[in-house]
Amino acid sequence: MVDTESQDIETATTTLQSAPDAKTRRYDRQLRLWAATGQAALELSRILVLSSDATSTSILKNLVLPGIGHFTILDDARVSPADAGNNFFLEGPRSIGKSRAEEAVRLLLEMNDGVQGVADTRSFDSIMDTDKDWFSSFTLIISHNLHPTRLDKLSNLLSSNSSAPPLIIVRSSAFLAEFFIQFHEHTIIESHSETAPSLRIDKPFPALLQHALSLDYEKMDSTEHGHTPYVYILVKAMEGWKKSHGGNPPKTTDERKEFKKGILALQRNIDEENFEEAEAQAYRCWAETKVPSEIAQLFNDPALEPAAHAQSRQPFFHLLAALKRFTEEVEPHTLPLTSTLPDMKADTTSYIHLQRLYKARAEEEKAIFQTFLDKNVDIDEDVIDLFLKNAHGLQVLRGRRWGEFERDTDAFSGALASYPKETCIHLALSALANLTVKQPGVAPTAEALRGEVLAIVGQGTELPDALDEAIGELERAPAAELPNTAALLGGLVAQEAIKMITKQYVPIKGYAVIDLIDTTTATLG
Amino acid sequence: MVGSSPHKNPGRYRHAEAILGKDLVDRLADTKVLLVGAGGIGCELLKNIVLTGFGHITLLDLDTIDLSNLNRQFLFKKKDVKQSKALVAAATAGPFNPNAHIYPIHGNIKEPQFDIEWFKGFDIVLNALDNLDARRHVNKMCMAAGVPLIESGTAGYLGQVQPLVKDRTECFDCVAKPTPKSFPVCTIRSTPSQPIHCIVWAKSYLLPQLFGEDEDGSELDEAEKHGENAQEIATLRKEALAYKAVRKALRSPATSADAARMAFQKVFNTDILNLLSMSDMWRTRPKPTPLDFDLIQNGAFSFLTQPAAAGSSASFTGSHALANGVADLSVDDSSSIAGTSAAAGSTGADGSTSAPANGGGGLKDQRRLSLQDNLAMFIGSADRLAARLRAGEDTIGFDKDDDDTLDFVTASANLRAFAYGIGRKTRWEVKEMAGNIIPAIATTNAIVAGVIVLQALHVLRRAWKDLRNVHLQFKPAVPLSTIRMCAPNPRCGVCRDMYVCVRVDPARVTLRELVEGILGDGERESQSSEDGDGGKGGTGPRDVSVYEDKRVLADPDWEDNMDRTLESLGAGRGKFVTIVDEEEQVGTVAVGLAALPPNHPQDAPALILPSPLPVPPKFIKLPPVTPASPEKTPAQALAGTSLKRRAPTDDDGIIAIDDEGSGPPDAKRVKVGGGPNGHGHAHVHTHGRSAGNGNRKARAAGAPEAGQESPSKRRRLEEDGLVLLEGAGGRMVDDVIEIE
Repeated sequence: MVDTESQDIETATTTLQSAPDAKTRRYDRQLRLWAATGQAALELSRILVLSSDATSTSILKNLVLPGIGHFTILDDARVSPADAGNNFFLEGPRSIGKSRAEEAVRLLLEMNDGVQGVADTRSFDSIMDTDKDWFSSFTLIISHNLHPTRLDKLSNLLSSNSSAPPLIIVRSSAFLAEFFIQFHEHTIIESHSETAPSLRIDKPFPALLQHALSLDYEKMDSTEHGHTPYVYILVKAMEGWKKSHGGNPPKTTDERKEFKKGILALQRNIDEENFEEAEAQAYRCWAETKVPSEIAQLFNDPALEPAAHAQSRQPFFHLLAALKRFTEEVEPHTLPLTSTLPDMKADTTSYIHLQRLYKARAEEEKAIFQTFLDKNVDIDEDVIDLFLKNAHGLQVLRGRRWGEFERDTDAFSGALASYPKETCIHLALSALANLTVKQPGVAPTAEALRGEVLAIVGQGTELPDALDEAIGELERAPAAELPNTAALLGGLVAQEAIKMITKQYVPIKGYAVIDLIDTTTATLG
Repeated sequence: MVGSSPHKNPGRYRHAEAILGKDLVDRLADTKVLLVGAGGIGCELLKNIVLTGFGHITLLDLDTIDLSNLNRQFLFKKKDVKQSKALVAAATAGPFNPNAHIYPIHGNIKEPQFDIEWFKGFDIVLNALDNLDARRHVNKMCMAAGVPLIESGTAGYLGQVQPLVKDRTECFDCVAKPTPKSFPVCTIRSTPSQPIHCIVWAKSYLLPQLFGEDEDGSELDEAEKHGENAQEIATLRKEALAYKAVRKALRSPATSADAARMAFQKVFNTDILNLLSMSDMWRTRPKPTPLDFDLIQNGAFSFLTQPAAAGSSASFTGSHALANGVADLSVDDSSSIAGTSAAAGSTGADGSTSAPANGGGGLKDQRRLSLQDNLAMFIGSADRLAARLRAGEDTIGFDKDDDDTLDFVTASANLRAFAYGIGRKTRWEVKEMAGNIIPAIATTNAIVAGVIVLQALHVLRRAWKDLRNVHLQFKPAVPLSTIRMCAPNPRCGVCRDMYVCVRVDPARVTLRELVEGILGDGERESQSSEDGDGGKGGTGPRDVSVYEDKRVLADPDWEDNMDRTLESLGAGRGKFVTIVDEEEQVGTVAVGLAALPPNHPQDAPALILPSPLPVPPKFIKLPPVTPASPEKTPAQALAGTSLKRRAPTDDDGIIAIDDEGSGPPDAKRVKVGGGPNGHGHAHVHTHGRSAGNGNRKARAAGAPEAGQESPSKRRRLEEDGLVLLEGAGGRMVDDVIEIE
């Protein structure tokens, strides 16, 4: 009992309202999705967007609103009448003739004064020639309908340096669109996996086992009996079963039924939901807790090889290396225990006691885990906790280079067979891009587009009918950008950009192809 | 004028014309669209339709702008906070297309002036709503008026768009929506066992009890009828009386200084002592502990020092054997378990990471509050709320963005949780649980709004085959999942009714005049004015039951209301009077009540019946079918009937369309009051129960349980429903978006 001085009501109520600050209130709805860690990553990010056409500003709108730190638009174009009609981040006819980047930056910034924005009206080529490194000063680069020659230069530049930022390549024409994220390596701790970590009921740690066995149902009053958490019930029942079955868990369907029956038989009356819960959760006794196969696979990652170890390694891989050792060296060869418990029927006392058992064990295992960490690396305690809490959902993604897909003939013809429509849309967009190099300023004909497609896939390749539809769509309106299509694409691309920046949730892999006539999407490659 | 370009700026639509075709783009300029909601989806949608070239946009929203909207509702700026969403959105988006006319309305879509006639004035309705109730209302109005509706919703990364066209697709109510989670009254009022019970109690019971409207006690009558514990209910009645005194104190300047203490004493001490006196209740439950205002305030309160009130203390669970406000009581606050005895008034442990979305640890309102903290917050917020009442506010209801009410609910819920030995929640968590907060981000709204416009363009092109249900999902491989449309559910109680519109002055017309007028005489109508001796049409007199929503107004054995005016029966403008055939042989007619036209002569009849009168499809008596295949029955029956030509279905299960030419969209609407050849499918009679009327009859049977329908607190608890994020990392269940 601490003798605390009674506070005067006035101070107490003014200091204790604990009302959040304006920033927290502004971002309330998104913080519930990606938390303060995600928000901090957004606020530290610097985004470069090539072009300020309707699609580009739609993407940026969805990044400025949630509060990225900085963006630069690189665009030397001036506002045309068509721009003025389809781009919400221009001031209609009043903007015509002005720098498109400057107008767009000014209007985008009106939405969020916590964001910094810069309009850069230099030409892409001059920067590529004289100031290449500038591109690598950003966290993420997004391009929309970038001229194919420039796109090749940029993707080469960024793929040749492993510390260069990811590049999101967006192409669209009329109702067809696609985007692709080129990156080197992307590690995710908070993947927001839908599976929960194991409670290890099948392999109870000593304190849990000991406590479960110490329980004596006979001596419990009705309150205690009806509020014994199912975790104890199962651990206790399992121990009893093993004793009478040569140390084995229930194996056959009949045995499992018998085991469940035994649990329900403990119920004093049908109101005791905790025993029903235990019966429903009984599968936890025979679903063996092991290192999930996806995580075991990560342990073979080249970044964990001793050779890679010596070099500068990301904290993520130091943690992963320690995790690997933990699962190899520490009984019972599982991922470290987490203290997150699901809701269950229990009274406060027993629930808290259970939680303390898990918490204490999780702390012990964390301490062991930490001994496996490279002593020379300083990793924040919060990061370790986050890593252990999410260990069952870790992800390591390795990206491909832009254009690599087409060069992989087998994969490509496979895609053509399995996803004819989407692959044809991708091909048609590539053909359209190639024609802008070969015949600048000339409206593409269906014939020319088809010729370009064949040049990509090889003469004589049999092409599905879907190609004609895609080509027809592009021929009809090759350069048109409908504001609504731009808005939709802006949402989809920004969604992935946020996943990349926050390193939370799993981003789309490969080419995301979007057909807005049928409102369908699919991924290729 | 048709033919002349409606656009002043030809360059503006260059892209649109290239993609959509000049024909559709020109038509857009004359299109009248109703956009319901100017929130997250609404802002995006307004921008899109303004830029796409929709000519006449009516924008309706009842809400005002809050700071927490600004992370996605980009038509609003900080300076606009507290202004009308509809007005500000219209003012911001308008200048982007001088050809677009935006008519903003700051109002509730459920207001009576937005009747069927009003809805009929639109070519298409776009929903951008955030609650089930308004969605169902707009769906019904659109089904009644025969106006296509595009429905939508988002929750975090998830979203959905669903086109709804009467007789061509499902309507919103064709598939039952999950009912919001509800709790028994006694769990909330007497025997809470989870934090959510305490939050519901604080939000939906205590706050209205002290700061809301006066209660009539009908809820307890209902609970009694439902057979809940009689002794408990008698105690609750006693409780209700005592509230009157506290309410009075809160509102009077003389006693207000002490009103918070009075409220506390009553709620956390007297009421709990009363409940404890019912020893039966605590035989299998842990007993609550009455709280002591002064002891908590000076830090001397201990659960040990409290007398165990009545009864034995044998069932005391020990969780109460803790000192004043030690954070141990918090179920999910594991971080503070390690013996924090520096209890009251301490800064409290930082929020643990138990909040669903990783908690956003470290945010200011995510810290745990001690018992003393909660008491201080209770007093502070009660004082502020009382001051507002005295300053003229009539009643104060819960609003997640109203800090005073949120503080009050947080503190009250936590104090109750202490008393009952239940885990507490931070202000952040309470806000989410009590406020039905759904995570919301700009990206999802942008995607959903884009899809809505694509579907709307299909509707305007009358390309019914291109319509799709679209879900935005979590799977990285397929961001958008697209499903073809489903045909209407033949048992749907909303879109399978036949709708007619009657223009009426409800103060001057009786129920009998309306019902008999609609039924007509069953004689063939006169075809022309010379043919004077023709009949009135309709089905002719028959035995019917009459409802307004779920209320029975009359049935063949009970005609007391027939000679009362519609107004006196609460059936005014914007409402529906539903006529159900007693023999279940004729389809149901839903009569929408609209106002008389503005130029209607004073001496003319105060009732304008539809012409021709409705002749709903007849049901077919079928031999009983085998219960094994009940779902097949309607289709079989429909195929076999000659009464009604079923719209042909193509192989995709999409109802084919017969395009009726190229007149203006208005001319192509489903005709109201159509005869046997009109739209609408035959209903089927099986097992002596009408398929089509099953819903209605079920409702009628449920009518005596008026507690469900009367605006009692029980109902309110259910409506509040509470979206829960259950447990750490739990999945979200909500009433905002239905993702099957």
